[in-house]
Amino acid sequence: MVEITIRKRPRSEAVITQRKFFKKTARGKVIKVLRERYLRDDVGCGIHNCRECSEACTPSSSLLPESGAEHSLFPDGHFVLPDTNVFLSQMDLLESSLFRPPIILLQTVVEEVRHRSLPLYNRLKALMAMDDKSIWTFYNEYRSETAVVREENETPNDRNDRGIRKATAWYKEHLQLNNPPVRGKAPRKLPTFVLLTEDAANRQKAEKEGLVSLSVRKYVEGMKDSPQLLDLLASIEADEIEPTRAAGGKQILYSEYLPSATLISGVKAGDLHQGHFNANQYNYLEGSVSVPAFTKPVLLIGRENMNRATSGDIVVVEVFPDSEWKAPADEVVDQDSTLKNDDVESGDEDEAEDDIVTRTESKVTSSEKRSSEKQPTGRVVGVIKRNWRPYVCHIDSTSLTSINSTSLSVQTVFATPVSRLLPRIRLRTRQAPSLIGQKILVSIDRWDVTSRYPEGHFVRALGKVESKEAEQESLLLEFDVPYRPFGKAILDCLPKEGEQWVVPPKSDTSPEWREREDLRSVTICSIDPPGCQDIDDALHARRLPNGNIEAGVHIADVSHFVHADTPMDSEAASRGTTVYLVDKRIDMLPSLLGTNLCSLRPYVERLAFSAIWELTPDADIVNVRFTKSVIASKAAFTYEEAQIRKDDPNQKDDLTEGIRLLNSIAIKLKAKRMAAGALNLASPEVKIHLDSSESSDPIDVEQKELRETNSLVEEFMLLANISVAQKIQETFPQTAVLRRHMPPPKTNFEKLQDILQKRKGLTLDVSSSGSLAASLDKCIDSEEPAFNTLVRIMATRCMLSAEYFCSGSVARDTFGHYGLASPIYTHFTSPIRRYADVLAHRQLAAAIGYSPLHPSLHGKSHVERILDVVNRRHRMAQMASRASVEFYVGLALKGREERNKASGAGAVTEEAFVIRTFRNGLGVFVSSLGIEGLIMFKNDLQQFDAENYTLSIPAPSGPPVTISVFDKVVVRIEVEKDKNTQRGRVKMTLVSPIDSKNM
Amino acid sequence: MIAFTSFPPQADDAYRKTRHYKEQKDDEYMDLDNDEFDGPHAAKLTCPGESLTSSQDFMRGHGTYVDNEEVIASVAGTVERVNRLVTVRAASSRYNPEVGDLVVGRITEVQPRRWKVAANSRQDAVLMLSSVNLPGGVQRRKLESDELQMRTFFEEGDLLVAEVQAFFADGAMSLHTRSLKYGKLRNGQLVMIPPVLVRRLKSHFLTLPCNVDVILGLNGYIWISKHVKANEQEGEQGFDAEAVYSNQNDVRLSFLPFNRMNLNCARKDIDSATRTAISRVSNIIKILAAHFIPLSDTLLLDAYAWTMEQEASDVKRLLLEDYGDALVAAVASG
Amino acid sequence: MRSHTFHDRANINVEVVVASFSTGERRKRLRGDKRVLEFAATIKATFEPVIRTSLYPRSQIDIYVQVLQQDGSTLQACINATTLALINAGIPMTDFVCAVTGGVHSTSPMLDLTTLEENDIPHVTVAVMPKTKKVVLVTMETRLHVDRFEEILNLARDAGAILHQEMKEAVLSRSASLIAMAEPVTKGQSRADDDVIVD
Repeated sequence: MVEITIRKRPRSEAVITQRKFFKKTARGKVIKVLRERYLRDDVGCGIHNCRECSEACTPSSSLLPESGAEHSLFPDGHFVLPDTNVFLSQMDLLESSLFRPPIILLQTVVEEVRHRSLPLYNRLKALMAMDDKSIWTFYNEYRSETAVVREENETPNDRNDRGIRKATAWYKEHLQLNNPPVRGKAPRKLPTFVLLTEDAANRQKAEKEGLVSLSVRKYVEGMKDSPQLLDLLASIEADEIEPTRAAGGKQILYSEYLPSATLISGVKAGDLHQGHFNANQYNYLEGSVSVPAFTKPVLLIGRENMNRATSGDIVVVEVFPDSEWKAPADEVVDQDSTLKNDDVESGDEDEAEDDIVTRTESKVTSSEKRSSEKQPTGRVVGVIKRNWRPYVCHIDSTSLTSINSTSLSVQTVFATPVSRLLPRIRLRTRQAPSLIGQKILVSIDRWDVTSRYPEGHFVRALGKVESKEAEQESLLLEFDVPYRPFGKAILDCLPKEGEQWVVPPKSDTSPEWREREDLRSVTICSIDPPGCQDIDDALHARRLPNGNIEAGVHIADVSHFVHADTPMDSEAASRGTTVYLVDKRIDMLPSLLGTNLCSLRPYVERLAFSAIWELTPDADIVNVRFTKSVIASKAAFTYEEAQIRKDDPNQKDDLTEGIRLLNSIAIKLKAKRMAAGALNLASPEVKIHLDSSESSDPIDVEQKELRETNSLVEEFMLLANISVAQKIQETFPQTAVLRRHMPPPKTNFEKLQDILQKRKGLTLDVSSSGSLAASLDKCIDSEEPAFNTLVRIMATRCMLSAEYFCSGSVARDTFGHYGLASPIYTHFTSPIRRYADVLAHRQLAAAIGYSPLHPSLHGKSHVERILDVVNRRHRMAQMASRASVEFYVGLALKGREERNKASGAGAVTEEAFVIRTFRNGLGVFVSSLGIEGLIMFKNDLQQFDAENYTLSIPAPSGPPVTISVFDKVVVRIEVEKDKNTQRGRVKMTLVSPIDSKNM
Repeated sequence: MIAFTSFPPQADDAYRKTRHYKEQKDDEYMDLDNDEFDGPHAAKLTCPGESLTSSQDFMRGHGTYVDNEEVIASVAGTVERVNRLVTVRAASSRYNPEVGDLVVGRITEVQPRRWKVAANSRQDAVLMLSSVNLPGGVQRRKLESDELQMRTFFEEGDLLVAEVQAFFADGAMSLHTRSLKYGKLRNGQLVMIPPVLVRRLKSHFLTLPCNVDVILGLNGYIWISKHVKANEQEGEQGFDAEAVYSNQNDVRLSFLPFNRMNLNCARKDIDSATRTAISRVSNIIKILAAHFIPLSDTLLLDAYAWTMEQEASDVKRLLLEDYGDALVAAVASG
Repeated sequence: MRSHTFHDRANINVEVVVASFSTGERRKRLRGDKRVLEFAATIKATFEPVIRTSLYPRSQIDIYVQVLQQDGSTLQACINATTLALINAGIPMTDFVCAVTGGVHSTSPMLDLTTLEENDIPHVTVAVMPKTKKVVLVTMETRLHVDRFEEILNLARDAGAILHQEMKEAVLSRSASLIAMAEPVTKGQSRADDDVIVD
């Protein structure tokens, strides 16, 4: 029987157990909330070997060492209790692996951090979970001795500070009580509890109460690795140390934000609008905010109107009257070239300099050359939530005052983020010279009204620019991909046998064989891209005596190894997906599982989850069943091998026949799918040839080739996913993990329709996926076979992205998958590399009664939360791998350029299609490389016809050349290095019909 | 507004306890040994669901039931045994009437030939028209006209004192007021206390020296009223037959409307001393009841005397908690 | 009212009033609330088989439940309070009714939930008669997996047994103190009747 404890509480305690606070409802009414708090005496202090708390502190792994840690100021050891502001401003310091004193994290602090900043709270949570930190969370608000009640006329801040001091005092006393002096022995020296706070008043109060309290800087100065750590300190302190840079003399560049109450009431009243700020990647002086009140996003033109918003912030905008509405500029404005001369130190103060910047900018923003329709225009009046995170940047070498590499003086420099959506960040550092040519991570700390640029601090260096390691890491950081190696707790979840694990011999008693079908004798094979290590699917097909065909899809049984609610499971859930970079794979699951135990390698027995259909020769499903199984794959083919084998009429063995059978069904399945209105979309996919596995220098780029066998595998995976989706949705109508693709709003296609109509006289029917598919098929330019692909690529960009969802969370009629034209869909076939598939596996296992469903999968909110993470990770992973391909394409181009140069063949030229026209440039798509580029004209000579998407360029001789969207041009591709930032970038110039090298 | 202070001294330590239950204790078997019943005040306590004894050896009485050959208590209170009969008397419950009990009740309903009387029992008691004395003498026959004017005798809300005459089949009690001691009540105040606190006495009509009459209804309803002088009682010279069913308290004659003025009658108004005495007695009863102390005539007298001895003998002060405690301490010890 | 009387047993009438200030956030219109009516019906159904109504034909037992302060597990508290009130009123019952609310937070079961916990996690209220170990009430308004349900149900039944010990202790000590207070005076009662003017 479980131990049940009854706690009774005297009524006199009611006074301190009540927590009173005021809450504002959605309607703006303020209500008082009284919440009861249940105080306890058994909240553990978390210090190892504490006599009193040993029972209360169950998770023994995270206990703090008994004697604290060493510090030059505290020879007897110490523990650190940081207050809220330390976490809010010095998170980078705390996250540093060099900073590892035992930290006591108070609940008051955690709650305040959550209240103040969600991103920081998430970082704090990650910090708490880190293996190499010793952090104990002390629930001081629930321990009767340390709970505090807000007194009258006390601000919440003061109350929290008092709570923190009280907890510190309690710890001190607690340690003394539990280490009573033993007679005959020298009294043990007890470690000190150090209250870290930046608030001088708080420090004073603490000292009055006999507590030890330090500022972070003071504390860090006394540490062993202080020089490295001091640089991590956020610049908030800069003001304290150097009050000389008085704010008084500064010119105010931006208007102050309105108070948050005004913002909220304004948004409610409809005067103001709230939305995400999207920076324009072509024009740094322009941004937009999508708000529900307008169909078009609100345009923000100019620095003042963007008012310190950075990409992704949730901002509140004020919309100008209609008369001041403008159209977005159809011009490309590059931050680097425009602001080349802006000086870091004096940029704000020097009037003359300032004027230049202002003038250039105002010229750009006020230019009359705005065409097309006007859209709502406004300005940012407040930021609800910042989306600041550490950014990967380069140091701008021109901003350095001294490039003497030995100089250790503090310098203010510009850091240019890799992402074009972000402004430059002003940075103060002592190690500027050594950072040039490096990729570094920079955090934004604040952005004052007097400062043109945000201010940040250096977090750490990633490595040399264009070194693969640095590029890779910066990419992973930029897309927020968790890439730390798996921790010990996670690796402990793997089978003990490790590589030696095998399917045990068949017996009724072994748990592996429980309710598993023995499919070892079936002729199963897998077909994957070359070099694939994580084989998660295998197939088979055979004729049944009744003339029907049995086809089976066998998926690696990951859920057999990854059990719910284990460290490995939560890590996989937070990683969400495996990320494929060109030369690296960031696994979702430890590689032992992914590439060995779960991977359906040939010639070995593996556990699988099988979906087996009986199909008529016309590919109609007679029935389907799902079962856990044991298989032994007979072969692992690449697409190419399988294709060759299938096409070779001399091969008559079982495997080949199976492939042929599968192929014949796949063709019919595909035909059915197409008939139902599935889209055949295209996205530019290229393949990077790597020289050898060691050097991983790209040699060349080529487009991926699609074979019949690709489609074969795809069709069966789709079939499996659809069948599984039906099954789990039927069994778990509330919590089934499904995937959907919403039909795109028609307006998304307007521009493409217009271009097609005007340029090619083609119409695009977007009324349904079927009609879209049909009209896409008609978009053919007889002279240009690649045209159809181009239109498909552009159409794909108009669509929404598919997403995972929980079946109970959305209406039944929105389950459909637009692209596949399937009423229901899920992901089941790649559990090794996608977490959603793992969930689908668990649900299917429960649906067939194999194992009970883990309780967490019954909770709608829980499933939703997981899927939100998975969706985000999925998106980020796609972006990361695309960026990785882009990087390698750049490298490959550089290689080609050099080779060409060596052989005297001149620059690299490629054919390209125009996909966008600007007043001063062209957007082109190079299909052979799968990249997009921008051609800019410096001269102001060209005529722009926005209506017809045409640009006419005066030729040096003869009539002007007109270039329109969909025109085929030849471009010269060069890789040039930005002189200031060392950032490599692809530069394109027009070769034909006109050479734009000097324009 | 509640004043929030940090950590008041923790007073009631009795409540501040944490109890861990690792495993369940078995119900200790509570079989009744014969010897245990011998003592006069062997207050053996039980509560619902406790098994008392085997049903083969004992008979179940009130407050028990039989299940699975066991006699089981159904109320919380003391276990009593008379020979083979086991009963449980609830520590507090509604009034359990017995024939001959004196009760005070209130008319709730007028029905054909009967009144319904609320008397703190489980069901309303019944007072038959045939069980009341009508004006005009004991021997008067009931007429149909009496049935029509029942409300002139007792109306809804009227208080009366009566005796339990018999029981109906469903357990409801039938009352009678066929004595001039019984009948409608006036000139006083009703106090309701738990019925167990009224024990059977020689007489339930008490007259306290402070010129106050007390009627201790066994149902826990207590009537405290102005003293009726002996010579005004039934059959005596000053007896006012008209007043038996009167709805008026005694008032100064001058207050009466002219037509109600009865010069023959010797009714006097209730002076303020009497009123104070009535309230004092009723407050004393309330205090004693709050402390769960059974009423008795001596106790009332002691308590009354005690309150009069106190310096601040204001009636209102009686209801203060510490005053009541002092009173109980004083009288219960004596 | 007459329509509600039965000739062979007592009618049980339950009325629940939730004070608008009882919750952490003041809420209006709690009286005619469907939830409150359902609450009353639940309490009535729970106690009907336990109270020995057949002893009181043609009568009515009124149970007035007033919730003055609540922070979760309200039904549990109402039922336990009703049990104690009925016992205190000396109404015969076959047994105690001990209720407890249990919930499950991911995999760890918990008892006696607070409002915050109730809002977040699936929960069941179970009322047991400890003597016979019969369950008289199980109510659940959230979804809970069968396996968890069994776990919680068992835990709640164990907790009911413990609550029974607590309640029994309280009932016995109250009865004892009531009787003790009544005792000494009754003993001395025979002392002197003479002072009283007996009529």
